[in-house]
Amino acid sequence: MFKAMIKKEFLLVLRDKQALMVLFIMPAIFILIMSVAMRDIFSQKSVRFDISIRDLDKSSISKELIKTLRVDKSFDIVKAEDAKLSITIPKGYGKEDVANKKKLNINIKSSLKSDEIELFKAKLSKDVISLKLKIIKVKMSEFSDVAASAIGSITLEPKKLFSIKYNKSKNIPNATQQSVPTWIVFSMFFVIIPMSTIYINEKKQNTLARLSSMNISVITIALSKIVPYLFIAQIQMVLMVLVGMYIVPLFNTPALVINGSILALIFLSFALSLCAIGLASLIAASSNSSEQATTIGGISNILLGAIGGVMVPKFIMPPIMQKLADISPMSWGLDGFLDIFLKGGGIATVLNNSIMLILFGAVTLSLSMLILKKKLL
Amino acid sequence: MIKISHVTKKYGNFKALNDLSFEVKKGTIFGLLGVNGAGKSTILSILNGLCKIDAGEIQIAGFDIKKDIQKIKEISSIVPQNLAFYDKLTVKENLDFFSKIQNAKKENYDKAIEVNGLESVLDQRALTLSGGQKRRLNIAIGLLNNPQIIYFDEPTVGIDPKSRNEILSSIKNYKNFGITVVYTSHYMNEVEKICDEVAIISHGKLIKQDSLKNLLSKDNPKDQTALEKHFLELTEESYV
Repeated sequence: MFKAMIKKEFLLVLRDKQALMVLFIMPAIFILIMSVAMRDIFSQKSVRFDISIRDLDKSSISKELIKTLRVDKSFDIVKAEDAKLSITIPKGYGKEDVANKKKLNINIKSSLKSDEIELFKAKLSKDVISLKLKIIKVKMSEFSDVAASAIGSITLEPKKLFSIKYNKSKNIPNATQQSVPTWIVFSMFFVIIPMSTIYINEKKQNTLARLSSMNISVITIALSKIVPYLFIAQIQMVLMVLVGMYIVPLFNTPALVINGSILALIFLSFALSLCAIGLASLIAASSNSSEQATTIGGISNILLGAIGGVMVPKFIMPPIMQKLADISPMSWGLDGFLDIFLKGGGIATVLNNSIMLILFGAVTLSLSMLILKKKLL
Repeated sequence: MIKISHVTKKYGNFKALNDLSFEVKKGTIFGLLGVNGAGKSTILSILNGLCKIDAGEIQIAGFDIKKDIQKIKEISSIVPQNLAFYDKLTVKENLDFFSKIQNAKKENYDKAIEVNGLESVLDQRALTLSGGQKRRLNIAIGLLNNPQIIYFDEPTVGIDPKSRNEILSSIKNYKNFGITVVYTSHYMNEVEKICDEVAIISHGKLIKQDSLKNLLSKDNPKDQTALEKHFLELTEESYV
């Protein structure tokens, strides 16, 4: 009997083209688009600026400045038309006069973000100050070798000024590592669409009542709906991971790397899908029309996603929002996936989050069964 | 076969059934008539275990509805007014599904197909069937468990006269298999065509129960509208 109920549910979902689009095609496309679109934002490579230089001074100092900028790995000197920033060295810039107030003129050609402009200014300042220190050193050597040597020992190289320990570097995901778990979580919760459509059609057409009159219990009806969707959710997870691993890299974007345990990934995925199915069952059982269910389901998914770090990554949220995120089951799932993908987590790492997801699923499923029983009897 | 004694059912303060009593004899086709909201659907829901009574007693084939609802469900079946099957499944997939969940026998499965003339549309999706074919599939599902009692809740709504006649003829044949039929309809001529006995209810109360023959002979038995006139008289009286 149970086998027949599961088979029926599978056939109904597989014949629902819209549901398949929402469950498989939409998240796969989103992973691709979001990974490629956010590639540069999540990139941890050092920033390089395309600059052009116009030397109106033609002095030894201006030539030395150009030489310094050429060796600086932060700058790529390109043709004027290709440059995002152009530097003009004004006539008289290298004049050795205390009263010389000539400044470099910077023209920002394309739209750069304010933090990029600040970074450019810091990098350029460092090169200009280095050059000025060199000039002072030469001048001082005429009077005192000790003083000149002291000035020569001044360095502006960050590596020589401070040591940096990147304790958290591994915890910041790249674009693909952020996109894949985000859309796995989000798409699993969209199970509400096919589930509510089938549930409500069954209610409307009295098929549920007919099943009940055939001695089929509410528990059997509910359980027969869980199994196919649990299976479908695992296919969703595998498909999204494969897109991240093999399709996204074709678009010059980092591939998804699973640093953690595959077993933990499967365990977490089951827990998350149970949670999503529970919520979907509850909404479907309480709604009177599929329009009502998809509206409530859609809004709750978007809210849980916005709170839980699906729309905006949690690590860039302010602390208060990060705390608020913890109330969303989507955040529990997302954190679990990031633990596996980034930190190499295993079952133990994701156990707490998985238990919370399973409990949420169990509570919502029980509530949905109670509602269904009340509506049927 | 069915004995309903002093049954009351309330929805809040509204009495859907008010001290209702009647009996249905084994192997008869029993017509249940009443205006919308009279309590017909409530009775069918109760008899099928979809709704509980507040007072009274019901015995079906010797089983008490309060104690033996599982057994009652095994020997009875309902054909709801709505098309209670799956549009996206084929006729065969629908019949397979409803057959397997009831552990129905192969012979009942074949009989349900044959009696309802569904052989030629078995591989067709239910969605693509004509109105009459959909109704016949709805009925076929109700026959899968080889019921002793079958309840029809307005089974001919929205279909053409030809399909309606075919369905009525097949229902009339169920008597030959020893099946007791409880039939609700708004169409008096349907009731006149197939029913042996008729109960008219209004406001959850029994207004009249008698054999069709007796009800018609009181007026002119050849008058096609006799039952309808009788029904209108009785239900209007009960509204006064």
